[in-house]
Amino acid sequence: MPDHDHIPHEARDRQETLDAIRETGQPYPPSEEFELHAADSRTLWGDALRRMLKNKLAVAAIVWLAIMVLLAVTADLWVPQTFGSPTKIDTATIVKQRLIPPSAAHPFGTDDLGRDIFARVVYGARISLAVGILATAISIVIGLMLGALSGYYGGLIDSAIMRLADVFFAFPYILFVVALIAVLGKGFINVFIAIGILGWASIARVFRSSILSVKENDYVDAARALGASDVRIMARHIMPNAVAPIIVYSTMSIGGAILTEAALSFLGMGVQPPTPAWGLMLNDAQNFMETAPWMMIWPGLAILTTVLAFVLLGDGLRDALDVKMKD
Amino acid sequence: MTMLLEVDDLRMYFYTRDGVVKAVDGVNFTLDGGQTLGVVGESGSGKSVTAMTIMQLIPMPPGKVESGRVLFKGADMLKMNEDQVRKLRGNRIAMIFQDPMTSLNPVYRIGQQIGESLRLHKGMGRKAAAARAVELLTLVGIPHAAERTKDYPHQFSGGMRQRAMIAMALACDPDILIADEPTTALDVTIQAQIIELMTELQKRTGSAIIMITHDLGVIADIADKVLVMYAGRPVEYGLKDDVYYRPMHPYTWGLLDSIPRHDVTAKTELCPIKGQPPSLINVPAGCAFHPRCPYATSKCRTEVPALRDMGGEHMSACHYSGDPGFERGVVECAGVSA
Repeated sequence: MPDHDHIPHEARDRQETLDAIRETGQPYPPSEEFELHAADSRTLWGDALRRMLKNKLAVAAIVWLAIMVLLAVTADLWVPQTFGSPTKIDTATIVKQRLIPPSAAHPFGTDDLGRDIFARVVYGARISLAVGILATAISIVIGLMLGALSGYYGGLIDSAIMRLADVFFAFPYILFVVALIAVLGKGFINVFIAIGILGWASIARVFRSSILSVKENDYVDAARALGASDVRIMARHIMPNAVAPIIVYSTMSIGGAILTEAALSFLGMGVQPPTPAWGLMLNDAQNFMETAPWMMIWPGLAILTTVLAFVLLGDGLRDALDVKMKD
Repeated sequence: MTMLLEVDDLRMYFYTRDGVVKAVDGVNFTLDGGQTLGVVGESGSGKSVTAMTIMQLIPMPPGKVESGRVLFKGADMLKMNEDQVRKLRGNRIAMIFQDPMTSLNPVYRIGQQIGESLRLHKGMGRKAAAARAVELLTLVGIPHAAERTKDYPHQFSGGMRQRAMIAMALACDPDILIADEPTTALDVTIQAQIIELMTELQKRTGSAIIMITHDLGVIADIADKVLVMYAGRPVEYGLKDDVYYRPMHPYTWGLLDSIPRHDVTAKTELCPIKGQPPSLINVPAGCAFHPRCPYATSKCRTEVPALRDMGGEHMSACHYSGDPGFERGVVECAGVSA
C-alpha cells in the first residue's frame, strides 16, 4: 500500500473520486457544485435593465425623451386649439400678435410672424425626432449589413468595404450632405436619406470590430461543430453578442442626426418653411437676437436638451450592456 | 469491413507569412464503433488540429489539406461539399470543446443550446427539442433538469457546463464523439466525474470517442487505442496496453515518466522531458524528437524515421524500436525512493 500522504495531489484526488464513484455505483455523487443554484433566474437583458434604472442621468434622459415623444405625438389634439396654428400666418392680427414676449397666453412668446413659439417647438420635435430616428435607422441597416459582411468574411470583401468607408470618412460631412441634398432636391424625405446614407460608415466600422472579437469565441466554433450554417451562426450566435456597441452608438448618433438636420434647416437646405423645424426657427431668430431673444432661446434649448438626452441615454446603455460592470 | 472512421496519411499545413507550419503531418488511425481512441501529446503537437481537420473546422486558407483521406463509413469527408459535411457535424460526429466556460453562448438558455442540433438535424420543433433537452440534461447527471434548462450559462459552474456540452454533443446520438481536452479546464474531482460520465454514456449509446489530451492519466482507464503525437507527427500508435506497458518510442517513455504516479513517494522526483517542443515552422531535421531524446544518434539527426508496424497493430516511429537491447532505461533524475 503506497503512502497516501505523499502522493501528488492531482493524481490522488482524481483517483479517489474515480474509486468512490465505482464503489458506490453512483456515477454522479451529489456534490457541492449543484448547490450553487442562483437565487433568481436573471436574464442578460433583465440585468441590463436593472443597471440602467440605477443610473439617474439615464433615467432622466428617458423621462425627458418620453415627454418629447408624448408632446410630439399628441400635438394635433391640443396644441393648435390652445396656442394657435404653428404654421398659419394671420395677416389681420399680425401686427398685434408679433414678437410678444413669453406670457400666460404664449408661454414661449411669439415670433416675427405672430406664431406661437411653443406650438412651433412642439411641432418641430416631430421633425427632429423623425429625422433622428429614421436617418439613424437607414444608417443602421446599411452599416449592419456591410459591417457584418466585412467582419465575418474578412479578406477581400473586408478590404473593399472598409476602403469605401474610409472614402466616406474623408469627405467633409456637412458639405457632403449639402451636396447630396443638392442632387436629391430639398425636402423632408431627402434629409433623412442624405443623413442616413452618410452615417453608415461609422456603424459598419463599430459593428465590424465587434464581430471580429465575438467570432473568436469558442461558442462560434462550437456552433459550427454542431452543423450550423454561416447564416445561422451569424444571425444567432454572433449578432446577439455583437450588437450592444451598435445600440449604444446608434443612440448617440440619433443626437448627431438631429444636429445635422438643424444645421441643414438653418442653412436653408433642409425642411422648408413654413413647416416648423428647430434649425429653421433659429434661422428666423437671427434678425431678432437682441429684440426678441426668446425666438432663439426656445428652439436652441430644445435642440440642446434632446441631443443631450440621447447622448446620456447612450452612455447609460453602454454601462448597462457591459456585462463586466457588475453593480 | 469498413471501419467507422479511417484517417489515412492526413496532412494539414498552414501557409503563414513566416513559413509553412506542418501542424498535422501524416496522421493515420482507425476507429471502430464503440471504441475509444486517446490522442496524446504536448501542446502544439497537432492533436487539436487533427480533430478540427476531421471536422473541417479549420479556416482554409491559411490551412490546406496537403494529402490524406478521412473515411467516415467509407466515404471521404475531405471530398464532400460544405452541405454534406454540415449534415455530419453535430449529427454523426459531434465535438466537445476544451473550455466549457467559453464554449456556450452567453445569450441563450442551456436548453435552447442543447436543442439546437436537434432542430438543425432532426427537424424537431421548439417544444420537442426543449423536452429532449431536459432528458439529455438528466442523462448527464444534472438534477432538476427541467428547471435548469431554463438557466443561462453563467448560472452553471464549470463542471455543469461541461456536462451541458456533453449533452449538446450527444443530442443527435452521434457515431463519433470528439472530445478536445474535455477535462483540462476543470479541477481534478470534476475531471473524474466527467471521464466517468463519458464512459458510462459510451456504454449506453455505443458511440466511438476520440479523446484528445495532454495527460496520459486521463485516458489510462478509458482508451482502447492510443495515438501519441509529436510535432504534428504520430510517433507511437497501438492498443492501450501496448502503449502503456510495452512502449517502444523514447518520447512515450518520457511522457510516461512525467506522470505523477500512485506508487511514488515524496522522495521520488518526477522526471519531465527536457527541453521544449519544437516550433512547427522549423521542425528539426531527421527525427523531430532527436534534440530532446537521450538515445539520439547521428542517424536520428538526418533520417526521418518511418512509422513501422512492430506487430499487432503496434506502430512506432523510431529507428531503433524493436532492436534488441533498445529498452526504456532508468532515467537519471528518477531517484531511488528511500
